[in-house]
Amino acid sequence: MAVIEVKNISKSFGDTRAVDNVSFEIPKGRIFGLLGPNGAGKTTAIRIINHILIADSGTVTINGYPVSSKTQSMIGYMPEERGLYKKMRVGEQLIYLAQLKGLSYEESKKKIRYWLDRFEAAAWFDKKVGELSKGMSQKIQFIATIAHNPDIYIFDEPFSGLDPINSEMLKEIVIELRDNGNTILFSTHRMEQVEQMCDDICLFNNGKAVLNGKLREIKQRYGKNTINIEFEGDDAFLDELQDVRINNRSANYAEIRVLNGQSMQEILKKAMNHAEIYKFERVEPSLTEIFISTVGEDNINPKELS
Amino acid sequence: MSLRQILLVLKREYITRIRSKAFILATLLIPLGMVVFFGIVVGISLWDSDTEQTIGIADRTEVLYPRLQEIASERYQNLSDLAEDSLQALVQGEEIDGFIVLEETHIEGQKDPEYISSGSGGLKLQNTLRTDLREVIRNERLARADVSEDVQKIYESDITLTTTKLTESGEETEDDTGFLTIVGFIMGAIIFGAISGYGGLITRSVIEEKTNRIIEVIASSVKPIELLFGKLAGIGALALTQMTFWIASLLGFAAAAGPLAGIFLSEQMSNMPETAQTAQAPQGIDPEMFSIPAIETSLIIYFAIFFILGYLIYASIFAAIGSAVDSEADTQQYVLPVMVPIFVAYIIMFQTMNNPDGTLSVIGSLIPFCTPIVMITRIAITDVPFWQISLSILLMIGTFLGTMWLSAKIYSVGILSYGKSTNWKELMKWVRQG
Repeated sequence: MAVIEVKNISKSFGDTRAVDNVSFEIPKGRIFGLLGPNGAGKTTAIRIINHILIADSGTVTINGYPVSSKTQSMIGYMPEERGLYKKMRVGEQLIYLAQLKGLSYEESKKKIRYWLDRFEAAAWFDKKVGELSKGMSQKIQFIATIAHNPDIYIFDEPFSGLDPINSEMLKEIVIELRDNGNTILFSTHRMEQVEQMCDDICLFNNGKAVLNGKLREIKQRYGKNTINIEFEGDDAFLDELQDVRINNRSANYAEIRVLNGQSMQEILKKAMNHAEIYKFERVEPSLTEIFISTVGEDNINPKELS
Repeated sequence: MSLRQILLVLKREYITRIRSKAFILATLLIPLGMVVFFGIVVGISLWDSDTEQTIGIADRTEVLYPRLQEIASERYQNLSDLAEDSLQALVQGEEIDGFIVLEETHIEGQKDPEYISSGSGGLKLQNTLRTDLREVIRNERLARADVSEDVQKIYESDITLTTTKLTESGEETEDDTGFLTIVGFIMGAIIFGAISGYGGLITRSVIEEKTNRIIEVIASSVKPIELLFGKLAGIGALALTQMTFWIASLLGFAAAAGPLAGIFLSEQMSNMPETAQTAQAPQGIDPEMFSIPAIETSLIIYFAIFFILGYLIYASIFAAIGSAVDSEADTQQYVLPVMVPIFVAYIIMFQTMNNPDGTLSVIGSLIPFCTPIVMITRIAITDVPFWQISLSILLMIGTFLGTMWLSAKIYSVGILSYGKSTNWKELMKWVRQG
């Protein structure tokens, strides 16, 4: 059964259609990635699921209930724009946020103590948030998101602005939460980050869901039509290739998507003539490549995909 | 709407503020500051009245100066021996402030005396000179006219007005109009200060949640309308706490000051010779003399009603302003038009103090945006018809429902739009959208 079911939702701000007739389902116990460039409508869709915004049309159900104040407490949400009350103490602030999610004072206090211990932050309980370092307040923000122990977690651009240690920690937490049977939805515009984590994806572009399904199946559908090549020498030969699209190019590496049945052996020959080849590998396309080939090269601003 | 969520928000808004050092300091220092301010004002006026001007009198009649000397010998200096040009030199040398040459023609009423000085010396001095000269010239004329003693007494008669107020139940009470005017002014001024002060606090609190970026976390747990109500109620409770503290300490101070002054004075009395004591004050000094006249309970209840309603109307507007902007610096374009009715009410209030039943005061007290300030001043000073009070309260409740409805719409859209401040046009769009 789908834990989150989004059916034909649309939302406009003035003349802009931020979300345009989008549907997707998130099954229980999966990590679901909402991908797409900045401004594609991911955050608007997430806010509708969180009942912060109301869709102009369409429906969203959480565990079978239409979105409402009640479904809000089933979700732990970490928005892209993160923040805390700077003048409040860590403990009372976390207790307040957990209480707003429906926990009693006693319950909240117990949960907060547990999580602060777990993050080796028990000593911060009486510190003001304004006195914490950035990394420390990021940890507090995680606890605020997960302390009421919901079974659905939504992270909007969770890795932006995180230091590497917290980034790694968040990955571990997400995987752990999933392994315990929880459902996770997160959005990102950095495709390569999700490749390792997501079970399912939905690609957004200009407010529309352009591709939707299991990550593995989507990749298999494209076949091994991509070459990863590592070389030493002049890379000018890459510019001479016909019917290819080159992503992720650097001085001695390139990801070559082969189009129109161009022979890979020909590419290898050409490469050998110009440079020393360290590695030549046929692989499934990267998500970035899948995104570009889905929406068409002309329909995206390449700068928005980093 | 969930009452539980509203109460949680209310509690946070109240508790985090009431224990902040800034709030405690302000609560203690503002009354202290007012005492110091009044002290300075009183001190200045006392010190000021001590600096007397010296007016040279060149008396060619030889009868007027002795009379002036009787009234205020320190003010008038006899310079009758000097000629006019030497008097002018004295003024230019700043040895005297000015001079008057008095002649026979002045007594006969053919000419008015002329005051010659380097500067006018202010309205007060001119007034004093006019009164003094009128008195001495009149007395001299009376003396010359050789009128009977009865007529002279008529001219000497001095009138003071005592006032008595007739209440509706028919009993006569001592009229405290002077005192009640001050009470009305203070109450109006407190509401004026509280609306602007707490309005600003609400705007800042909404902006703070936006700039801290906590608002989206809160919005995923609480409806905007719940957050708004909780915030208004929490800060309103804070305002009531502060008011109660101030009024209680004011009443306590007033209650203690009267008897203390009484005790102090009666102790002095008891040191007097026994005969004088029994003759002048058989029971010592009555402490009642020093206590302030009573403020009616109904006035305090009306103050609370108008304070709360006025706070709610303006607080809901100030919350909407906070949600529409991204930083405090951008609030000006919205705050100014909102402050206009508050200032208009404040100005009307001064008129009300003189003429509480005038058309301006009546209309002002019925315009909901001005009611809290103007009406409380009227109620304190005069007997306002009950229908006017009820009408003004009903109009304020209606206005509050309107501003709250509008504010909730702007607020629910505004809190989620970060990074830019809104213009009026977009604000209208939010209202239609919300």
